[in-house]
Amino acid sequence: MLVALIIGGATDARSADQANESASPQHALRLGASGLTPPAPDAPWQSVTLPSVAPQLGAAAPQGPTWFRIDFKRESASPRPWAVYLPYLYGGGQVWLNGQQVASVPESTDQLRVRWERAHLLPLPDNLLRDGDNELMVRAAPALGEHSLRFPRVDIGPVVTLSEANDRRQFWVRTAPQLTVLACLIVSAFVLFIWWRRPGEVLYGLFGLATVFWGIRTLTFVIEVVPVERWQLWRLVYLAATGGFVVVMALFAMRFAGLRHRGLERALAAYWLIGPVWLLLAGSAGEPLVNRIWSGGLIPIGIGIIAVSFWAVWRERRWASAVMPAVLTLATLAGVHDYLISWDAGLMERVLPGWAGHRLFMLHHGANLMLLTMGVLLSLRFTRALTSLEQLNESLESRVADRERSLSANYLRLAALERQNAAAEERQLIMREIHDGLGSKLFTSLSRVERGDMSHLQIEESLRACIADMRLALDALAPEDHDLRTALGDFLFRWQGELEAAGVRAAWTIDMPDEAPGVPPHTTLQILRIAQEALTNVVKHARARQVELRLQRANGLLRLEIQDDGLGAGLAPGAQGRGIVNMRARAERLGGTLELRQDAHGTCVVLSAPLASSAA
Amino acid sequence: MKIRVLIVEDEPEFMRRFSNAVLADPELSLTGAVSTGAAAMALLGAQPPDVLLLDLGLPDMDGTEVIRYVALHHSACDVLVVTMFGDDRHVIAALEAGATGYLLKDAGADRIATSIHELHAGGSPISPGIARRILARMRTATTQPRDESPRDAVLTPRETELLRLTAKGLSFDAIGQLLEISPHTVVAHVKKIYRKLAVHSRGEAVYEANQMGLL
Repeated sequence: MLVALIIGGATDARSADQANESASPQHALRLGASGLTPPAPDAPWQSVTLPSVAPQLGAAAPQGPTWFRIDFKRESASPRPWAVYLPYLYGGGQVWLNGQQVASVPESTDQLRVRWERAHLLPLPDNLLRDGDNELMVRAAPALGEHSLRFPRVDIGPVVTLSEANDRRQFWVRTAPQLTVLACLIVSAFVLFIWWRRPGEVLYGLFGLATVFWGIRTLTFVIEVVPVERWQLWRLVYLAATGGFVVVMALFAMRFAGLRHRGLERALAAYWLIGPVWLLLAGSAGEPLVNRIWSGGLIPIGIGIIAVSFWAVWRERRWASAVMPAVLTLATLAGVHDYLISWDAGLMERVLPGWAGHRLFMLHHGANLMLLTMGVLLSLRFTRALTSLEQLNESLESRVADRERSLSANYLRLAALERQNAAAEERQLIMREIHDGLGSKLFTSLSRVERGDMSHLQIEESLRACIADMRLALDALAPEDHDLRTALGDFLFRWQGELEAAGVRAAWTIDMPDEAPGVPPHTTLQILRIAQEALTNVVKHARARQVELRLQRANGLLRLEIQDDGLGAGLAPGAQGRGIVNMRARAERLGGTLELRQDAHGTCVVLSAPLASSAA
Repeated sequence: MKIRVLIVEDEPEFMRRFSNAVLADPELSLTGAVSTGAAAMALLGAQPPDVLLLDLGLPDMDGTEVIRYVALHHSACDVLVVTMFGDDRHVIAALEAGATGYLLKDAGADRIATSIHELHAGGSPISPGIARRILARMRTATTQPRDESPRDAVLTPRETELLRLTAKGLSFDAIGQLLEISPHTVVAHVKKIYRKLAVHSRGEAVYEANQMGLL
């Protein structure tokens, strides 16, 4: 787009040249004379073609102020005001029309140094203009720091016709640099801030520095007048900015291509310092030498930058990496273009007729494009980094979630294993219980039946006891939530029929809170066995009419109480002997105690066992 | 009028035991004693009994099929299931099929006759383990109300409370005192609960069938 604008600008400028009314003389007369008034017509004027460069390349002496005499015609009186358009007049000067001074552009003095980058559209007073031949005299002072004096092709005509070209050029040589400086300042502040917060992002820092240097360097086109006492400082700053820009660009290109060479980086930084220090030591007089040697040394660095970028393209083979060298090439072409305009305008004139004379320098716009590209590339990098950061976060999150899942799965597995272990332990205990109880009872009965030692009634009783034993184990194992209340309820529900058949009225009270912890089956089995033993005694021996069973839980202690109104103290001591011993042993296995109270009113069996430790 | 009893039991020893218990009671009359489900269904039509004494493990079919058949075709007949031990899982399956009582196999002759009388009089036994299981079944029904499931399958608050107390191991006397009803009313409630359980399970079956597009 920039290129299109420039070319568009060029065509516009040419179309302005060809406007009917205006004049665009190709020839003029030149006279090297330092006088502040126009030289006489009979002075030794020399004919020249515009634009003119004097002296030509290779001449020894620098050019002093020069007068140019341009003859032009005005066909007839025009209602519109006329002006002369000078695309450049770097060193300033004066304009005379038909023997009268009509305008002046300040030249360098003892106090001020000037270099005018702007174009000049100087009005020609109507009263001095004549129909037919007119004579324009322009004094041009040499520009600061330039060996030769340059004088443009001038356009003379109505202001409206010329102002268009003037505005266009003004934009490129004045407004664009101003905008560049402003943009550079803002962008560099922003980027350097990022670097300050994130010192690891060296590319941002380099880009920020390059922008700063470029902004300072571009000030040359913005600041046209400098007081003499600050001139050297200004040149120093300019030199440092130019060298800094090139060196920082080189560092950037290296880093961007992934090249890290500490020694080379230090050498580049040192080279950058040499220029300003040299100028500081040598003073103004040394500037041409510094320019020729030190500034010349920047050229190989520039070539190195291009080489590194192309090497990066070859290595990465991605479109994004090709952008930088493409822009660099464009900037280089712009540089070549500028060089040709400066030093061999003739060649340019042959390639692009009429273009060279405009002296529109492209390198700065190329550099702007380069900085813009760098900015875009860095922004892309930045967004890519953000995106990958987000992806990283996501993958991290999912990894954390995975880990959490596996942890909880592990935990569940462990818990299941623990439950399994506990269940296996319980199974062991109950199997031993069945083995020792039901098993031994069946074996004893079998052996007695084989001996013919058991009556029919005894066999029936023994088998009933075995079935009861079996039931007890099933009752203890039945409740899935290990609720002692349900197990004991089932047990008592079954016993109720038997007690009623034996003529015993049964009442039971179960007083356990809902939130009581589960009781393991083995513990339940022990409790049920104690209850069974007690109830069996009631039915067999006590001749009771009523039995009351109470289950309570208080202070972590389980209390089971079985009270009957039977014979109690009247009972033969041996009758309950083994039963009581069994019950005591079971109570001890639960870590509790068994209490037996017998008096005239009956028997009371009380089991107290800790619930918390009953699981063991 | 005597209570007519049909016995379905494939084990000869127990068949004799049950038959003797029924024959010994002057208030009971034995309409038949068969050993297969098919024979039971045939006899049900010929001589409808008041109480069916049924073993679940039959040689030709699952006992619950006989229960379902009875519930469908002879709803006036009470089914008393005989189980070896207090095997809650099988008891629940039988109750869901439509049985209203259960009896332990080793019960004495008196106990057998008493159970038949109680069941016919309108009462059913319930153990804490059974109560707990019924509560769990019904709870899933109330937390997931379905339009297809019959309204009367939902337990009343009183019935739920009764089950809750039973599951806690309380005796019928204690429950009767707490709910201020007689122990007889408690067992009558239990029978109602059993019927609802059967209706509920059928409702569930109908719902499932609807879901699968069978009906």
